[in-house]
Amino acid sequence: MLVKTPPRLMRQARTSGVGRRAGVLLQRLALLGLALAAWQIGSLQAPSFVLPSPARVWHTWLGLVATPSFAADFGITLGRIGAGLAFAALVGLPLGLLLGASPRLGRFFEPVLTVTNTVSSAIWAIFALIWFGLSNWTTIFVVFMTAMPLILTNVWQGTRTVSAEHLELARTFRMPRHKVLTKIYLPTILPAFFSGARLAIGFGARVVLVAESLGASSGIGYRLRQAADLVQTDQVFAWTLTLVALMIGVETLVLKPAEQRLFAWKKVAQP
Amino acid sequence: MNAVELDHVSKWFDRREGGPLHVLDTIDIAIPQHASVAILGASGCGKSTLLNMIAGLVEPDEGAVLLDGIPSHAFRDWRAMTYMFQEDRLLPWRTAAQNVAFGLEAGRMSRAERARRVDDTLRLVGLDTFRDAYPHELSGGMRSRVALARSLVTEPRILLLDEPFSKLDPEIRAQMHAELLRIAGLRAMTLVFVTHDVEEAVVLASQVVVLHPRPGRIGTVRAIDLPYPRDPLAAEVAEEVRRLRISLSAASARCS
Repeated sequence: MLVKTPPRLMRQARTSGVGRRAGVLLQRLALLGLALAAWQIGSLQAPSFVLPSPARVWHTWLGLVATPSFAADFGITLGRIGAGLAFAALVGLPLGLLLGASPRLGRFFEPVLTVTNTVSSAIWAIFALIWFGLSNWTTIFVVFMTAMPLILTNVWQGTRTVSAEHLELARTFRMPRHKVLTKIYLPTILPAFFSGARLAIGFGARVVLVAESLGASSGIGYRLRQAADLVQTDQVFAWTLTLVALMIGVETLVLKPAEQRLFAWKKVAQP
Repeated sequence: MNAVELDHVSKWFDRREGGPLHVLDTIDIAIPQHASVAILGASGCGKSTLLNMIAGLVEPDEGAVLLDGIPSHAFRDWRAMTYMFQEDRLLPWRTAAQNVAFGLEAGRMSRAERARRVDDTLRLVGLDTFRDAYPHELSGGMRSRVALARSLVTEPRILLLDEPFSKLDPEIRAQMHAELLRIAGLRAMTLVFVTHDVEEAVVLASQVVVLHPRPGRIGTVRAIDLPYPRDPLAAEVAEEVRRLRISLSAASARCS
């Protein structure tokens, strides 16, 4: 239930929040320990090219990080994800707003969304390979085609939560249409945009590997395939580990703080 | 020239079944500058529609609605007329001060000028210490004040109010009435408000227009010549309230 919290209670909630966070951290560590133990036991039963042990993967990873090409591959993949997502946001956000604000445009373009949502990322990767060859644009295009519909759909859905009362208020002030878009629609859909962006980042980071392993000569996806072709399973694991670390980093260093800042106005939800 | 003029205004609403609904029937009202006019009626008699027409949100099917002589839907002066709704309609992502500033964002204005006006208006409604609070952190009465400040910040000549204080506690409502009268006097505004509360109409209005329901027609029009501030417990005020109650119940008895 959402209730107004007096400042004193809020402070209490915050201190008990520290305790809760420590509890969560402990649970996470326990889960990690459990997974590592299962991995270790499994690796004892299988040859290392099927399942290398955690210790071996760790050493491989340390070696991998030390190679000069690691930073380059890591940076290239990160850059491609970033570029694809940036284009997706630049197109998806305004387009979603426009289609949501104008029912006629929305009805007309609705089938396009169905198509983009059903075509698999692998198909986009093949098309991209035909159109752009072995270039950065192949990967960026695939990330874009995956992320853009997600952002567009979320923003579009978000426009349905725009309050008719707020729109009427703007009309009484004779507010011009473009200002209504930026001052009423945009703040209302921002949470929806954010959940769309979160999905897009997750999917983008996954499809970038598909695209890179099919149509690139650099980047994490390319290295993954190279390692797989050479049956360097420990390398495959090390690269996977890198990617997981990257996603956790993006979540805790970028998404969470940005959300906390943008949505500071929201009511405090009490358990 | 009259501040607001309704000239033979009629309105029908489309219904899914049963043909169009006749909401308002040949309404004629002339509201002079600086007047305070209450449109009094039971719920469902078309009084909100009437106010929305004055605001230019709804166009009349017949007749004309004029603000300073200009048809209201073509009235473009965003500062001259503001509307205070029944609900506060604050934007939850904006602080009190930012919500007040919303009233000034439809047109062009320098940042400094905007900030000065927001500060002045917050002080006027007694909210300067809560300027950085978000709507959910404010009480109903304070939210109402923010909404009032948003309507006043443009320094309008005409202020429209749709049962603006109906959701507040009686004491806070009385406070808001006094505040509104003080500011209206200060700024020489024209007030037009709709209400179903007879006492509110008598306390605030220089003229009360009783609206009869289905379709909305003008019944009694009463000028109230009592000095402000008006105490609802004073004998003359109570007498006006009694008379208006009688004409109001006569109006609703006729339709049922």
